[in-house]
Amino acid sequence: MAATRHQKEWFQTVRQRAAAGEPIALVNADAPHEVFRALDIPYVVTQWWSSIIAAKQAGPASMERLAAGGLPDFSLQYDAMPLGEQDLPDEDRPWDGLPAPRFAVAERSGDVTAKIFEQWGNRPGTETFLLSRTGADPVPDRWWELVPHQWEQAFGTERLDLLQGEIQDLIAWLEERTGRTLDYGRLAEIMALGNQQAEWNRRTRDLIATTRPTPVLVNDTMPAVMSPQWQRGTQWAVDAARSLYEETAERVDQGIAVCPGERKRLMWVGRGLWSDLGLYTRFQEEFGAVFVWSMYLAIAADGYLRYGDDPVRALAARFVGITDQLYVPPWSSQWYVKEALTHGVDGVVHLVADDTPGSGFITEALKAEGIPVLEIRANNADQRSSSAARIPERIAEFIRHRV
Amino acid sequence: MSTSETAAVPGTALGTAPVIGAGLGLEPRVGVVGADVPRQIVLACGAVPARILGSWTGAVSQESTELLGATDAVAARVLNEILSGAHDELAGLVVCNDSMADLRVYYVLRILAERGRVPFPVHFLDAPRGGGDHRRRFVSHQYERLAAFTSGITGHQADATSLAGAAAREAELGAALEAVRGRRREGVLSGTTALTAYRAAAQLSPEDALERITDLVRSETLDRGASEPVERDGSAEPAAAGVPVYVTGSSHPDATVYTELEAAGAIVVGEDHDAGDAAWIGDTVTAATLAEACAVLAARHAARPPAAARSLSSERTDHLLAETERCGAAGVVALVRDLDDGPVWDLADHRPALAGRNLWLAEQLRVPAGGVQDAAAGILHTLSQNVNRKDAP
Repeated sequence: MAATRHQKEWFQTVRQRAAAGEPIALVNADAPHEVFRALDIPYVVTQWWSSIIAAKQAGPASMERLAAGGLPDFSLQYDAMPLGEQDLPDEDRPWDGLPAPRFAVAERSGDVTAKIFEQWGNRPGTETFLLSRTGADPVPDRWWELVPHQWEQAFGTERLDLLQGEIQDLIAWLEERTGRTLDYGRLAEIMALGNQQAEWNRRTRDLIATTRPTPVLVNDTMPAVMSPQWQRGTQWAVDAARSLYEETAERVDQGIAVCPGERKRLMWVGRGLWSDLGLYTRFQEEFGAVFVWSMYLAIAADGYLRYGDDPVRALAARFVGITDQLYVPPWSSQWYVKEALTHGVDGVVHLVADDTPGSGFITEALKAEGIPVLEIRANNADQRSSSAARIPERIAEFIRHRV
Repeated sequence: MSTSETAAVPGTALGTAPVIGAGLGLEPRVGVVGADVPRQIVLACGAVPARILGSWTGAVSQESTELLGATDAVAARVLNEILSGAHDELAGLVVCNDSMADLRVYYVLRILAERGRVPFPVHFLDAPRGGGDHRRRFVSHQYERLAAFTSGITGHQADATSLAGAAAREAELGAALEAVRGRRREGVLSGTTALTAYRAAAQLSPEDALERITDLVRSETLDRGASEPVERDGSAEPAAAGVPVYVTGSSHPDATVYTELEAAGAIVVGEDHDAGDAAWIGDTVTAATLAEACAVLAARHAARPPAAARSLSSERTDHLLAETERCGAAGVVALVRDLDDGPVWDLADHRPALAGRNLWLAEQLRVPAGGVQDAAAGILHTLSQNVNRKDAP
């Protein structure tokens, strides 16, 4: 709750700074946010803003605005939704709406992210900068052990060279437009704070993995992790991650259980169902089934740690393969299996989105460990899609017959 | 270490179907998924690059569907062909990161190759669009890796001599395709024949392709259109007669739609997809070393026509307007397959730009895996309406 409250307050400061004429940025989740923090440019993360739009039930209206403008309402909604939100009537905009950004920055994931961000650049007062997105090659085993220190081995020098060079270009581009100069010492501090935050998340994740019955709800840890994630590189975010650990540890010490009669431990693979967070507790009473895992805490624990003397290269290493870690087989499948086993789950609900590759290998790898998997194909942010998928009914059936 | 570096290289002993090259003896064929391979490099390393293009029609196995997830049906058919053994004669396979669908194909094949499901090594070619020094260096390095992969198959290292030989072969093929484009501009050659010529150039050795293209051109010149009869929608025929159309949207892996359009009397005068005018065939460089060739080809890559999956909509629209003018098109046809979303975002820019040039746009979006015939019929219907409105006497 504290994290969410802080996020709301922070968002209003972004609005105020934009209203005062300061440049703000819209960035996608895999862009190098730390550069903006070091330059003191407030930034909003597309996917986070989409989750707010969806949670405030403004997703369908936003998508309708896109369609009215001749843009598709069926394509990468999670990235595209904020474009439509810009054109909603003021009274329908969540949290009074995202101010028009001065900068729109993304890496070129998939086939349309670049085109979506290009659309931002077509809006008055907004300029777009795009970074390359290379494919996951090489893919050595057990990435989570390599990426903190051995990221050259994990990602390959050429991929890192490319992104590092483009981050340097981005820095120059921002410096030219803002008249500011990046303090590389400040950037190094921000990187270090990001690492501290990830270290606390690791402790929390490991504690939850080994605790029976589970002490916290995933729909509490999801916002408690993600709100600080989008403030990564601040002392507040480090403190928030530490608080999450301390609160979890306290609950463990006190023997507090989310579901006292816990009989089945479930894992949610895929993006969060932000429009229906209550889903995650819906199966506790009838089945004693509790979701103990989502990717949000887990990737915050394993995905972001990068130690190194050169902050720009370490930053490139933080983002060059962040999506690969989650979605590219065999990296993704190895990691989900590791997490499923350490958390002792009895079943997995696997939400397969249109834009995530290799989902079949994740399901296959989990099943190979004897873990039942329910695959659901739906878009997490588009209520039309998730409603059509009959998610609650299918999970109940899954628990009843297969877990 | 990448799979391509660890996987066994079967060479020609494991059933590779060799082809006869120009002075290079027996050349193994290297399959190519995607459009980013600089063919001169592969030829200079002693192999023939052979595009696997997929098709508009045909079933896809449940396994391929589940492995790829929600993916453009053409990519699913490509995977299906490979897993069903249709390309087992290949000595190796290169998969390009030129679309999310092809990238998924690579991720799937990387794992299946490790499991022995495909009888050849699989290599990844990542050539980001957009230009700039950093990307050029990265792409150049990727081409050097491609050369190393191909040489690992053939045992032949590229050098100045083989680069020059490959350049000569590829340039001759490029000249033949340029002649096809010229005949097409003159209205002598159909889009169907041109697309078939591109397909031959992408899949055969340069010498075999030249022979095939010569046959195609001669055949069509002698008896235009008679070589590929199709069933047609008779009601749409008269209205579209003789209308020069330009094709954008999804790629056309075969001539299914072109034949429908041209059977109804339209003429496909050009296209911006990578199986047609945007195919990277015939471009060569003069270089003393492989590294130099890779560097110059990487610069050429940055100047290629913009691709639907990986270029900006503004670049795509500028290219479309220039090409429709060059080709003398009266309008534009866009078929976009379901889950191939790049072109859909481009269309939002295309529509007003084309309208500003008084060019009509006939579009069919989210064409399902089995829906090409219905989509083509829909295009013909729209075409008929547009022709009646603007061009009919």
